[in-house]
Amino acid sequence: MAENKKVLVIGGGMSGLTAAVEVAEAGLEAHIVEKNPYLGGRVAQLNKYFWKLCPPNCGLEIQFKRIRNNALVKWYTLAEVQEIKGDEGNFDVTIKIQPRYVNDKCVGCDACAQACPSYRNNDFNFGMNQSKAAYLPHEQAFPFQYVIDATACQKDCQKPCLDACKYSAIDFAMKPETISLNVGAVILAAGWNPYDPAKLDILGSGGFKNVVTNMMLERMASADGPTAGKIIRPSDGKPVKNVAFVQCAGSRDENHLPYCSYICCLASLKHALYIREQYPDAKVTIYYIDIRTPGLYEPRFYWKVKEDPNVAFIKGKVAGVSEEPGGDVVVDVEDIYAGGKVKTKFDMVVLATGMEASSLAQGIGVPYSSDGLVDDTTLRKGFYAVGTMKSPADVARSVQDATAAAIKSIQSVKRR
Amino acid sequence: MAEEKKEAQAVTAEATATPEAAAPPEPFTGVTVTPDLEFVDAIIKSGGESLKRCYQCATCSVVCNLTPSDDPFPRKEMIYAQWGMKDKLFGNPDIWLCHQCSDCTAYCPRGAKPGEVLNAVRKLSIENYSVPRFLGKAVGNPGSLVLLLAIPVVIFLLILAGLGHLNLESIRNAEGKIAYSSLIKSYYIDGVFVPVFFFAVASLAIGVSRYWKDMIRSTGLQPKGGIGSAITATIGEILAHKRFEKCNVTKSRKLSHMLVFFSFIGLAITTAWAVLYLYGYEIMHAMGKTPYSWLRGPSPYPLTDPMKWLANISAVMLLVGILMVMNNRKKNEAKAGKGSYYDWLLIYIIFAVMATGILSELFRLADLALPSYLIYFSHLVVVFFLFAYAPFSKMAHMLYRATAMVFAKATERDVEIT
Repeated sequence: MAENKKVLVIGGGMSGLTAAVEVAEAGLEAHIVEKNPYLGGRVAQLNKYFWKLCPPNCGLEIQFKRIRNNALVKWYTLAEVQEIKGDEGNFDVTIKIQPRYVNDKCVGCDACAQACPSYRNNDFNFGMNQSKAAYLPHEQAFPFQYVIDATACQKDCQKPCLDACKYSAIDFAMKPETISLNVGAVILAAGWNPYDPAKLDILGSGGFKNVVTNMMLERMASADGPTAGKIIRPSDGKPVKNVAFVQCAGSRDENHLPYCSYICCLASLKHALYIREQYPDAKVTIYYIDIRTPGLYEPRFYWKVKEDPNVAFIKGKVAGVSEEPGGDVVVDVEDIYAGGKVKTKFDMVVLATGMEASSLAQGIGVPYSSDGLVDDTTLRKGFYAVGTMKSPADVARSVQDATAAAIKSIQSVKRR
Repeated sequence: MAEEKKEAQAVTAEATATPEAAAPPEPFTGVTVTPDLEFVDAIIKSGGESLKRCYQCATCSVVCNLTPSDDPFPRKEMIYAQWGMKDKLFGNPDIWLCHQCSDCTAYCPRGAKPGEVLNAVRKLSIENYSVPRFLGKAVGNPGSLVLLLAIPVVIFLLILAGLGHLNLESIRNAEGKIAYSSLIKSYYIDGVFVPVFFFAVASLAIGVSRYWKDMIRSTGLQPKGGIGSAITATIGEILAHKRFEKCNVTKSRKLSHMLVFFSFIGLAITTAWAVLYLYGYEIMHAMGKTPYSWLRGPSPYPLTDPMKWLANISAVMLLVGILMVMNNRKKNEAKAGKGSYYDWLLIYIIFAVMATGILSELFRLADLALPSYLIYFSHLVVVFFLFAYAPFSKMAHMLYRATAMVFAKATERDVEIT
């Protein structure tokens, strides 16, 4: 059999992009399959990286540039791998692609969105706001191409959109399509989802407006987010002057995620800085079991945040949350060092929810461990899992791991 | 240690309240603990095998509806248990304020089962305060079960042999009926059970008073007068099973415990009633008077007698109650844990008391002499077990827990019970 020089990369987030460009720059063909209408994954939703506090977009831009300059990288958005058959060196892949209803003629002029009469919940911002049914996923979206949410844009909605587009870029006749690929190796980089707060019954089951998740706060703090970068409370838009962070919301808990999610302590430390930057008089309380800051520089970041007298660290896991009529949120905790069970009121509470590995279609044949993660050693030959599919990790470590997976897949393809 | 802890509290309070305070707080110098590993091992062997999984997150203290807010349980008890800090645990009202709702166990992120660990600590606490100590150890040890059962077997066999009543088949009363009072006259039974009763009361009284003193010493709290009112309030609460209502995971326990509890009261009244029937009759007889017609004399009594109604109703309540206890434990096993030998010993003894009691009555009514007398004999054995070993078995919970509740009320460190 001829050498199969193609590598499939499931997931177009930071890990998948990295793995794909590394593979392509070594002369193989990389095919990225991304479920969202844009590439960049979770990193695209971030405001700043800890601990350097630089904007993630610079890292993403570099990867996008490498992709654009390399003809060996192909990518499919709104696409999901349904099935993979075969063996190492000869995998038959079935990919289902959902219609975007916007073709490559789109120039991103925004005319369709302006004309569109219907709205949809903006999942990029975790439903904190709405976008038009014809929308650009986010301001820095790559590809810079609009999408139409057909379930939100039916009948009467369609004509104004069509009429508004001067480039004949809108096509409501698009249908879902299925394509096939033959690849030599597969990189699993489907990434992670924030743990669903609805499963945390003692933390309000996701039912309180002013109890948000860390990723929601990340969107609020982002200039292109639902509040244009202002951290305000969702129920009434009030500036937040007293915010609590609930660490290990679902993590290190055998009833939920049995493992430490690695990033949540650092994310909350970063979020404390966001809040303190916006409101010089605001107070932040971080409730924790242990503050975990893995890495060389990360503990120093913790020490820096700790110097701020308005940021308090209280040892004790929050195990009760309730909402008052005015929208304030009361947390229930044992302050272990002070020795008492206390109820404390806050303007807003942030759940430091952890990372759950994304699930893959059954037909791909990837077993998950009882912890809900992918164990590299249980995968078939020619499959390589990356980053947060295997265990929670920050962006830097995911990128390192993606490079490692790229090398493994190159070896896999080359050695036959 | 207590003082050092208060110092640590003060430091924390200051750090959060006035962060810009000029003088840096005295550094916390720590606490020296010598772990008592044997004690840790004893907890593990008594059903607390999960204790080392605890990582002190305090979820348990927060989800517990029975803990006082001030110095709540069971988080602190978990670390005392991990370090084998026996004195902190035995003289601790909180181990008994805990009713093992198992809300903590259900929500524990590590499967450390605080409910089960505290249950094991309670067992060791009963053992610690038991007089004599060897009985305390024996009741908690499965290896001693046969020996403990052998004691009443031998006692009652000796009595029967002495009376020449080993020919069970042919024992009948004057009317030719099966009568347990003809097998062993009540005086012999009472000759055993009255001393056993006083022994149990005395042993429990010593244990409870030691526990009370230890609580004062270990908590540094003093009862603020009004122990009488604390006792009254505690009794009221126990009768109404108020604390069980605050449990979430094991809500269903309230009814089963109530049934067992009130059937015991019913059976206690039955016993007193029977004593009156027998001894009232005998005393009047001895005084040369004609006993009142309602004083029925020696058993058996007809089923139409109100005393029998109470006895039979209580027996059925106990049967239903104890079966519910068993069923609840099985049902809640996944969330609350499977329970220990010590728990199941009491459950099975109560079940045996009830089963042998009911069967004695049924076989007697069916006029089956041998099974009747054999079952009645086992009934005496298990009743002896229940009462004589009450200060050392889980039965003692009724007094230790009540004492802790009185202490909590008297020292005004209690959860609000509504």
